[in-house]
Amino acid sequence: MRPLNAEPMLPGFVRHLFPTVAGLPLGPLLTLSLRALAGRRPGLFERLGEYRSACFVIDPVDLAFAFRVVPDGQRSSVRVVSKDEAAQSDVLIKGPLLTLLGLLDGTLDGDAMFFSRIISISGRTEAVLALRNTIEDAELRPADLLGLRGSLARCVDTGVLGALGVARRLAENNPSEARKA
Amino acid sequence: MTMTRMELVCPAGTPATLRAAVQAGADAVYCGFRDETNARNFPGLNFSRDELAEGVRFAHDHGSKVLVAINTFARVDDVDTWKKAADSAAESGADAIIAADFAVLDHVARNHKQIRLHLSVQAAAATPEAIGFYAAQFGIRRVVLPRVLSLQEITALNRAIDVETEAFVFGGLCVMIEGRCYLSSYATGKSPNLNGVCSPPEMVSYDEEPSGTTARLSGFTIDRYERGQPVGYPTLCKGKFKADGKTSHLFEDPVSLNAGGMISGLKAAGVTALKIEGRQRGKGYVSEVVRAFRKAVDAVEKGGDAIDVDRLLAGQSEGARQTAGAYEKKWR
Repeated sequence: MRPLNAEPMLPGFVRHLFPTVAGLPLGPLLTLSLRALAGRRPGLFERLGEYRSACFVIDPVDLAFAFRVVPDGQRSSVRVVSKDEAAQSDVLIKGPLLTLLGLLDGTLDGDAMFFSRIISISGRTEAVLALRNTIEDAELRPADLLGLRGSLARCVDTGVLGALGVARRLAENNPSEARKA
Repeated sequence: MTMTRMELVCPAGTPATLRAAVQAGADAVYCGFRDETNARNFPGLNFSRDELAEGVRFAHDHGSKVLVAINTFARVDDVDTWKKAADSAAESGADAIIAADFAVLDHVARNHKQIRLHLSVQAAAATPEAIGFYAAQFGIRRVVLPRVLSLQEITALNRAIDVETEAFVFGGLCVMIEGRCYLSSYATGKSPNLNGVCSPPEMVSYDEEPSGTTARLSGFTIDRYERGQPVGYPTLCKGKFKADGKTSHLFEDPVSLNAGGMISGLKAAGVTALKIEGRQRGKGYVSEVVRAFRKAVDAVEKGGDAIDVDRLLAGQSEGARQTAGAYEKKWR
């Protein structure tokens, strides 16, 4: 059985792909995606209240970069930042990418991940709580972020969530190999 | 001893969690409005009026009930906020209002006779006389028991009262008078009743330091954790302090209640409903805990033994440690 605080790190071959991905304009793409989501579901950001203008840095520990997110509805922004810049934020959330994605899609419980030290948070705790509760209620699927609907959305959700499930199983079955990568 | 099927009462901090609780097998879900009328007034948590009405429809369509917690104590200059919350809960078609304040109980008893009244744990009613008073004055149908009673005391209580009892079986514990923690008020200058938490989140920090993580509330150091060591909620009562030269968990160990192994005992004691704590917790927690307790309660109702809830839910516990709390207490 996997220890409670074992971190399901990305499998090595996936981590090797990320330098290529990091070269893409991830920030602008995610900004557009978030703003489009706010256009489709304006109520989603209301739960954040005053914290929608807060600056959240999401730092996947198994990647070489972090994301600086201001989830302010149609004024939202996402920037890819270096680890050095990650400290300049209202909130810093650190953890393995697969865990962070599990929190986003509701597969994993944030409190349990925090208690067992798989993720760490620092900064304005109230902003973290507001973000956690907003994400929980949003029930986001990959297709929501891509703005897809209908059968194509179902295919994408099945494919992406299935791939994430496989990646998690690989990571959990062989965490030491993943760390070496 | 009650011969009716025990009801599993589950928490919901958001509409999505309400749906998750219902789908996981909750007989009833309790929730509150997004304001200071309920004792879990966290940022981003709770329901708007429209969300509650939609949640009630969803729950009823799936055979579950909705209980609305309006369980804080009203401010002297703003009782109307609490009365309006009760009116909204009644209009939503919810099955019960959970309240503690005389003003709220009286308002509901006079104006919304169609809705059940449950006495919140915030009232800390633990004697036949106190519960009898609430029943006679306001017609309460159920009392949520404070987490300080042993099984023997609950058995004796149920023999002496005419209302249903609801007992916590999983989640956080409180060593103070429920919801009125003077330790928290001293440290934060805020009311744990109106702000909904022992530790207002804006006053909590987890600071990463070279030696590990330090949890602080309003500047007071609560605990220090080595790297990789499980952490708990930053509540003062579960902090580690030095007294008489010895460092220890002075007030209470950082553990969660898990009475999964005592379900048959609680049924024999006459308890009507089993309550899972945690409206502040996420959908994953609620789904997992509700599913585990659904199986356990169903097993007991069929005359068998409860399944091993302790093992199933170890990962969901604060500090990854569990206790049967006062149900097995050997102290006074």
